[in-house]
Amino acid sequence: MKYSYIKPRKKTPFTPDVQLIVTFFSMTLIMLFSTYAFLLFKNYTFDQDRQELINNKIDLQESIDKMDQKIAYIKQQKSLAEKVFTQNIVLKDSMANLFDLVPQRITLSRAELLNNGLILYGITPSKDVYNFMLLAPLRSIFQKTYTSFYPQENGWLRFVSTNYINEDENEELESEN
Amino acid sequence: MLAKIFEALYPKVLINIVVKRASTLVYIELCSKKGTISSVHEEFDTVAVNEKMLQFIQTYIKESPYFYVSLLDRALVQGALPACSKQELRYYYDLSDCEYKCVENRWAYYTAKSEIYETEKIYKDIGVDFLFSPFAIINTFFKDKIEGKLAIYALIEENYISVAVFESGKLLYGEHLDMQSVSELDEVLLADEIHNDDDLDLDEGIDLESMDVEDDGIELEDFGDIEDLDTLEDIDEFDSKDVEEELLESENVLDEADEDDFNEDYQRFSLIQTSIANYYKDERYESQFLENMYISDGVGVSRELKRYLEEEMFLNVYIRHIEIDAEICELAKEELGL
Repeated sequence: MKYSYIKPRKKTPFTPDVQLIVTFFSMTLIMLFSTYAFLLFKNYTFDQDRQELINNKIDLQESIDKMDQKIAYIKQQKSLAEKVFTQNIVLKDSMANLFDLVPQRITLSRAELLNNGLILYGITPSKDVYNFMLLAPLRSIFQKTYTSFYPQENGWLRFVSTNYINEDENEELESEN
Repeated sequence: MLAKIFEALYPKVLINIVVKRASTLVYIELCSKKGTISSVHEEFDTVAVNEKMLQFIQTYIKESPYFYVSLLDRALVQGALPACSKQELRYYYDLSDCEYKCVENRWAYYTAKSEIYETEKIYKDIGVDFLFSPFAIINTFFKDKIEGKLAIYALIEENYISVAVFESGKLLYGEHLDMQSVSELDEVLLADEIHNDDDLDLDEGIDLESMDVEDDGIELEDFGDIEDLDTLEDIDEFDSKDVEEELLESENVLDEADEDDFNEDYQRFSLIQTSIANYYKDERYESQFLENMYISDGVGVSRELKRYLEEEMFLNVYIRHIEIDAEICELAKEELGL
């Protein structure tokens, strides 16, 4: 049975002082936990970044290796190209020298360049012309020279000149290049 | 759930304040679920709240957040009515500016809302949780009696008297009387003058033998000259005496009245007499002849009042001493379910 005209005020153990203390402590705890959570998050993101960087590093290392391989290959190609270029120059020079060697009275119809030799096909008015004007310079270059002549209808001679240099000399020449 | 756990952890501090004529009695009881832990009384020379009283109360308030301040209603405009529904109450009193509480759907007691606000304002420093009507105290204090036969009950405080007529637990009439109220005092004095008591002088004391209180038109006159009756026991037809209560009362011997006490007791008698007269006269109330009167005495009335009521009003008067502060505490405990 309720006798009172008025209702009692709501009672709580949380007095203003207690509320203040609880608020203070809860705020401190919240700040601590939020800092802890922030650090955990940062640590996690840092770990992730670190892992990503490691992966990147591995990828980069792989790509560096690939690039090194490519560089090596390109260097090889370059050296090969240079070698070919030099050989071409040498060949060109040789050809120029060869064509300088051929006198005007002899006509070359075909020339075959071998690694250690040269085969010339051509027409000469006579054997003497060939022997004096072409064979002499060829002999100064090549150690072995073999020539075959075939007479033509007009009295001129078709010739095939096969010239070889010594293998040892050839190797020396290559090593010099 | 959490609130209940906290409530179980802390003791309850029941602060009961009874305002007397020039002082305030503070009764504090510390209770737990097991019972009362301790209690303390202190009286302060103020009728409001002074620094000393505030400090005293705050000392105990600090012990537990579950403290409850209970007060006895001192409103001038208060009373009890023999109805409970709004429509019926309107017949007795305009309760538009009043707060009222129904008791067992049979009767109600009320007080002015403005007085509640005023009380809350006076005690704003400590707050007020319960405000009890004196009629609620009568109801609980005489619980064993009001369910019985017709009788008039009174709660006597230093400044106030609350009068209620009960029959079989139902209130028939209720009135709150203020001893200091000028209007009521005038009314009493006027009534005295009408009753041609030329030799009645309040300052010089009252000679009971020469007292003759009659009210024209009230049923009391039907009993003839009451001076012819030496004691109530001599009358055969009055066999409605409460022997049990008489036995109880015989243990408490009432004090002889000194001059000041008797003046006050005379005022009390006059007020009770007027109130009974109102009960008989007012047609709105179901009036029946009163034979027994139970007084809960909170101030220590003299035996003169009892004798006077018995001789002049023809009542069987039984006086029980009441510790009002402890009764308020009991009501507060009941409210809190302790």
